[in-house]
Amino acid sequence: MNTTKPISNRLVLGRENRSIWKRMFKDRYMYMLMLPILVYFFIFKYIPMYGAIIAFKDFKFVDGINGSEWVGLEHFIRLFTSQDFYKIFRNTLFLSLCDILATFPAPIILAILLNEVHNRVFKRTVQSLLYIPYFISWVVLGGIVINMLSPTSGVVNQILGLFGVEPIYFMKSNAWWVVAYVGSSVWQSAGWGTIVYLAAITSIDMEQYEAAIIDGANKWQQIWNITLPSISGTIAIMLILKMGHALDLGFEHVYMMQNDAVLGISEIISTYEYRVGLEGMQYSYTTALGLFKGIVGLILVTGTNWVVKKMGNSGLW
Amino acid sequence: MNKRISVGERVFYIANYIFLTLCAFVAIFPFFNVISLSLSSSRAIVSGEVYLLPVEFNFGAYQNLIEDGQLLVAMKNTVIITVVGTLINMVGTIMVAYPLAKRTLIGRKPIMSLIVFTMLFSGGMIPNFILVKTLGLMDTYWALWLPGIVSVYNMIIMKSFFENIPDSLIEAAQIDGANDIYVLVRIVLPLSLPVLATLTLFYAVGWWNNYFNVMIYINSSEKLSLPVKLMQMINNFNDTLLQSGEGAGLQEDMVPEAVKSAAIVITAIPIMCVFPFLQKYFVKGVMIGSVKG
Repeated sequence: MNTTKPISNRLVLGRENRSIWKRMFKDRYMYMLMLPILVYFFIFKYIPMYGAIIAFKDFKFVDGINGSEWVGLEHFIRLFTSQDFYKIFRNTLFLSLCDILATFPAPIILAILLNEVHNRVFKRTVQSLLYIPYFISWVVLGGIVINMLSPTSGVVNQILGLFGVEPIYFMKSNAWWVVAYVGSSVWQSAGWGTIVYLAAITSIDMEQYEAAIIDGANKWQQIWNITLPSISGTIAIMLILKMGHALDLGFEHVYMMQNDAVLGISEIISTYEYRVGLEGMQYSYTTALGLFKGIVGLILVTGTNWVVKKMGNSGLW
Repeated sequence: MNKRISVGERVFYIANYIFLTLCAFVAIFPFFNVISLSLSSSRAIVSGEVYLLPVEFNFGAYQNLIEDGQLLVAMKNTVIITVVGTLINMVGTIMVAYPLAKRTLIGRKPIMSLIVFTMLFSGGMIPNFILVKTLGLMDTYWALWLPGIVSVYNMIIMKSFFENIPDSLIEAAQIDGANDIYVLVRIVLPLSLPVLATLTLFYAVGWWNNYFNVMIYINSSEKLSLPVKLMQMINNFNDTLLQSGEGAGLQEDMVPEAVKSAAIVITAIPIMCVFPFLQKYFVKGVMIGSVKG
């Protein structure tokens, strides 16, 4: 392991290396305990990172990763000059943006409103009910959404029918599909997301509110000037985590709701990777796409982290 | 807080209660609807009478699924995947979180950085697939379990919890001559039951709902899990609906919506049943995680 680094900033300056070995020997069970898991990280996380070099090769299973022929940037050139790339890149960004714009503020608002509820039973009941959608799988979510929005037997069209609205085929219309996608996202995650913010709000000093009330601040001013600034650190961290996954938009959620009629708007990077890469067996080509996605994701996380730190909050690292 | 409540504030509180009640209703309405559909008669479903409660209550759709049997096999598989997978996850996560929680461990920082980096960047879908295939894991559950032994996020939650256990407790045991493994089993783990419960649940929910890996790694029909089987059923029904409306192993006078809804309920219900009992642990676990980010 890396033994030299932490030592330099410790007290052991004068002593020779023996004390390091001594300390490591004292912790031998610790190293033995985590060794299998470090091997796991190496095999299942770092080897695939190495495997991503097939983006520069023509990968065939018979030749293996090392035996396959180098082709340079061929796959990247094909990727960046293809029509598909701009379509899926645009769709991914668009859906991501809609998703973040809707799902990011929702739990913050809910948490602030829940915090204003003084009846404990009511508060706890509402919270429990809001958490439930978080625990179902995307397949179930997709099934329920498609069921509810069906033009023949869906409950949404039944209700609209009561007001004399003609049945709408929601899942076959681009615009409605995006609404259904974002709506189901909010439905699934908003309640669960409140936990983190409620925890942050609970730790705000009550005296601040009391002082504000004496100064005549109304509810809105209290929320805007005390609650929100106090939880801005939490908000920043959650934003970094969200941004990092901007291009890594959940495969399953989109895949479960997709149908041929709306592929033009719903085909995103990960569903394309699956369809063309795994089903179509164009391994190297889609690895190039995956690599592009991974690097942009890395830049987004580190970039957001940097901005958050510049703004005076503590970042993720 | 304050005894005097102005009119504006009263309006705010009432509006707040109404709004939150509406939100809670929206959150659970889809479940009521799908459960009602699965328990209603075909006639009521076709004529669009089902909203919140079953109409012409019957178990026909569930009978249909149980006689067909495929979903029961899938459920058995899902239980195996979930139980074994969660066990592996917990052992693996403890094995790495416990050493890394020790502040004086040499090499702790670089190891931690290498692990956290895997959370920010990965080889991608295809290289992972190639690795699993090259290792000969295709069509076995090891293809699901091995690549996901430790979730870094959960590991950080556990590590933060371990770090907050008072050092005095651990030192006392070490003075008595106990080694690290003994301290872990006899002192640290018994003190960590809340975080162990939380993470067991996080992992179990993940396995229960796992779709993608089963879809790409498991080929044999008799090994598939509930979500994948459910998806196949939904697709089959949609196809038959488009063509003739017959077939798909449906009994006469049974509309696909009812059977589909019953399958959705069977897939979702086990998780929703355990949830209320374990909610306080979940909440605690998320909060531990949020402290550290």
